[in-house]
Amino acid sequence: MSLPIIKARSVSKSVIANEAEIAILNDISFEVFSCETVAIIGTSGAGKSTLMTLLAGLDIPSKGEIELLGRPLSQLDDEQRAKIRSESIGFVFQSFLLIPSLTALENVILPAILRGDGEDIDKAKQLLQSVGLAGRETHLPAQLSGGEQQRVALARAFMTQPKILFADEPTGNLDQKTAENIIELLFAMNRNHDTTLVLITHDAMLAKRCDRTLAIHAGQLQEL
Amino acid sequence: MKNVKTSSGNKMVLRWSLREIWQGQLWPVMAALILIIACVVALSALAIRVEKLMTAQGRSMMAADLVFRSANPIPELLLSDARNLGLTFSAQTRFQTMAFSDNKMQLVNAKAVESSYPLRGDLILVGQDAQIRSSVQPGELWLADRLFSLLEVRIGDLIAIGDAELMVSGKIESQPELTFNPFRTMPSVFIHQSDLHKTGAIQLGSRVQYRTFFKGENNALNQLQGGYKLQASQGWISEDNQGRTADLILKAKQYLSLTILMVILMASVTLVLTCQHYASGRANTVAMLKSMGASKRWLLRWLLGQVVLMFATALLLGSLLGLGLELLLRLPLTGILPEQLPSYGWQPFVFAASVALLIGLPALGIPLIRLLDTSAIAVLQDQVPTSPKKGLWLIAVPAVAFLLFYGNNALVWMVFIGLILLFLVLANSSYGLLNLLSQSKWEPAMTLALSRIKRSSNRSIMQLAALSGSLMLLAVIWLVRTDLLGDWQQTLPPDAANVFAINIAPAQQQEYLQKLDKNNIERSQAYPIIRGRLTEINGLNLKSSLSKEQQRVHVLHREINFTWADRLPIHNEVRAGEWTQTNAVSVEQSVAQDLDIEVGDSLSFSVNSQNFSAVVNSIRAVQWQSMKPNFYFIFTPDVIAALPATWLVSFRIAEQQIPILNQLGRDYPTVSLLDFRIMGGKVQTILKQITWSLTVLAGLGVISGVLLIFTLLRLSLKQRQREITLYRTLGASRKLISKTLWSEYGVMAIAAGFVAVVAAEGIVFSLMKLGFKLEPSLHIGMWFVVPILAMLIVFASLMSAIKQLLKPLK
Repeated sequence: MSLPIIKARSVSKSVIANEAEIAILNDISFEVFSCETVAIIGTSGAGKSTLMTLLAGLDIPSKGEIELLGRPLSQLDDEQRAKIRSESIGFVFQSFLLIPSLTALENVILPAILRGDGEDIDKAKQLLQSVGLAGRETHLPAQLSGGEQQRVALARAFMTQPKILFADEPTGNLDQKTAENIIELLFAMNRNHDTTLVLITHDAMLAKRCDRTLAIHAGQLQEL
Repeated sequence: MKNVKTSSGNKMVLRWSLREIWQGQLWPVMAALILIIACVVALSALAIRVEKLMTAQGRSMMAADLVFRSANPIPELLLSDARNLGLTFSAQTRFQTMAFSDNKMQLVNAKAVESSYPLRGDLILVGQDAQIRSSVQPGELWLADRLFSLLEVRIGDLIAIGDAELMVSGKIESQPELTFNPFRTMPSVFIHQSDLHKTGAIQLGSRVQYRTFFKGENNALNQLQGGYKLQASQGWISEDNQGRTADLILKAKQYLSLTILMVILMASVTLVLTCQHYASGRANTVAMLKSMGASKRWLLRWLLGQVVLMFATALLLGSLLGLGLELLLRLPLTGILPEQLPSYGWQPFVFAASVALLIGLPALGIPLIRLLDTSAIAVLQDQVPTSPKKGLWLIAVPAVAFLLFYGNNALVWMVFIGLILLFLVLANSSYGLLNLLSQSKWEPAMTLALSRIKRSSNRSIMQLAALSGSLMLLAVIWLVRTDLLGDWQQTLPPDAANVFAINIAPAQQQEYLQKLDKNNIERSQAYPIIRGRLTEINGLNLKSSLSKEQQRVHVLHREINFTWADRLPIHNEVRAGEWTQTNAVSVEQSVAQDLDIEVGDSLSFSVNSQNFSAVVNSIRAVQWQSMKPNFYFIFTPDVIAALPATWLVSFRIAEQQIPILNQLGRDYPTVSLLDFRIMGGKVQTILKQITWSLTVLAGLGVISGVLLIFTLLRLSLKQRQREITLYRTLGASRKLISKTLWSEYGVMAIAAGFVAVVAAEGIVFSLMKLGFKLEPSLHIGMWFVVPILAMLIVFASLMSAIKQLLKPLK
């Protein structure tokens, strides 16, 4: 078996609210291997998104250690963690998070520019074509529907050939039919690009499409 | 292998920034920057022009850019320095001498000048057959108009000036270097320097004044002045220290600096708030970019690129707008300003760019530095703002620049320190006032508004401070202008006396006055004039009892004019004591201050070796600038009425009354008529120019202030957009939303307006008292105008934003 691409060891996360410490995640350990698709499920407020922010290096745990692509995140500073993200990680968020003043094409190109790869217009166009948005390159997000915006976000996520894709409730803002289309696309692209997928969802049916499902409850993680 | 279409990505980032500017995301900051640049360009361009014009006016009245005067011949060293510095110069020797015609004689003020005189201003000489000349040539003699009647001569007659006999070339129509002192003015004659030796006026011990007029670059003039150590009886005369117009020009210049400073301050407040708004609006994007792996360096480059682009666009648009504004400002001045205006060069643009940069650095820099610290996790979760102290060092940049630029301008410092102290007081007073209001019972919309203001106290305090601060500044700009102009109009009214008649014999006095009254000539009361000296204070000889400093007081060095009266002139204001009827003297306040004279002191005087004493009954304030007869000492009649005196009266001659003036000259040849019509006209012209300029500048200051407050309110309303849109989505009626907003912003406007007026009165009071040395006064009208103006601006900003605010959520 290959080496884990993500490794969480005794990870805890707590926050201070009204001068009281609230534990969100408590002593969580698990591993994700390359090209796996892993679903993290749980009810609202269970700590799914918090876990994702820790796994992706957007935040650091209060206790424990996370190794991303073999590198312990706690030993890296903000800039080093950002570098890992730009080189190896893609995101798809529930609220799409496209830059409103950039066109669909430019939104897709953006991660490449951040990584210092420059404007690879052809690749971006290909990606837009692969998500069914050929001809919509010059449209601004406001001129696209919710489903179309999420397709642009998908294309953007794959622009830098990430090793890991984090998808946080990617269909939470979409109607059922559009959501199904987006999920099909997500899994298809994941397969085509040999990406490891970490899918955050509260939808148990959707989780079943993944290789493994991890459930969070009261700050504890359980493999289903 | 990389795709051929791959590029660095800079183009896309540039396109992105341009699009954001175009689409309006950066407009509030851009608007504030454009406003700062436009105001500074317009104000400083106009200020430079007005200052140049005022300087030119001042210089034209002293015949040069700089004048050196001395009781001894001008040192050769000074002239060689001037030559080396590339300055043009012209010599003048002036002395008092008797002029003799065949039938008459008259004491005259002779000025021997070179043909290059005057270096500035106009000398208009009218010769034979009304030929106009502008310089004096060798062998010529030009007489003041009234000398023709006093000496009974015509053009072509011979007159002896001292030992020289010269033929009258014509009359002096207009000359620079006019003075207002009726007691020192005697009719002038112009001769050429080359004829000076013929007069024999320059002898050992004769009272001669030598003057050299210089013209050239300001730097060279400053160098000349700085490089020469003045000896006793030498001095410099410049437009800043010469006579009547100097005070006017100096105060106008101070006002210009003050107006520009205030506009900049108001704009800075707006820029700070818009920049904060800009930075908070970027937080989500920065978090998103960070989540995608953007490095701090990349973000910094991106943000800086956007800021530079925004700054360049604002500089271009602001400069264009500023030029248009300056043009607009000059429209009311057409006819007053000369057709050929002095150029302002690049200075306004460089100044505007520097000001915008200096303010923009901390205003934009601090929120941007904090923005860079936005955590990537903010893309999913709201974050607590980062350290509030980060980036504060950037405030040092404008602070140091301010220190360097205004280091020695006491007036500006006074205002600045006052403003800093007032800032918190203003905000907290307004907030306190609103707190007080909230204790009372109000209708629901008002109660809601007051509770909202109370709830978000920090934001409300900031908003109130900005609002009341801006209102206060614009009130100060207008009030200072009003007070300055009020003072000038009072001291130099358009109907001021323009002729002084002196040496009226007691026997002629009644008849002379009757003649004036019969011809409906407006006149002052008649004053007896007795020349004498102050000799003792409280029985102590002045030479032994006064300090060296006090002994320099000019009234001790020459005979001065005393007068007596039953009561004090109405234009003199009693500052201490009161007028009594016997054995008393009223003393002018500056003399009283210099010599430590107080009410009740006993003063001794000497007139023609006759000594007498009087007790000080009052101290008076006298406006020496006014064209009214003024005296250092006014006695009660019993003290000096018995002494021989001549009489003085001042009056105003209208254009159509000139023949009467000529007739008076013929009927009373022993009475000296001092005609100040030309001088008075010149001063009135300058006053008119300055009045217009200050009004226009103040107007621009107020307009800028109004626009800035409008921007502030629009920003504040924009921050409320989400909340109001939500109310609307939930079904709140337009009326309810309007009413709530009206209550909230209206009550803030009134409170801020009221507090602003109180603070403005305080600042104007100290400015007048300590800065401009004028009498402060209350401005009741402003107590209504400012809150009403604030309400109007609130109304305008609400009306302009309400449509957008009422759109429901999509």
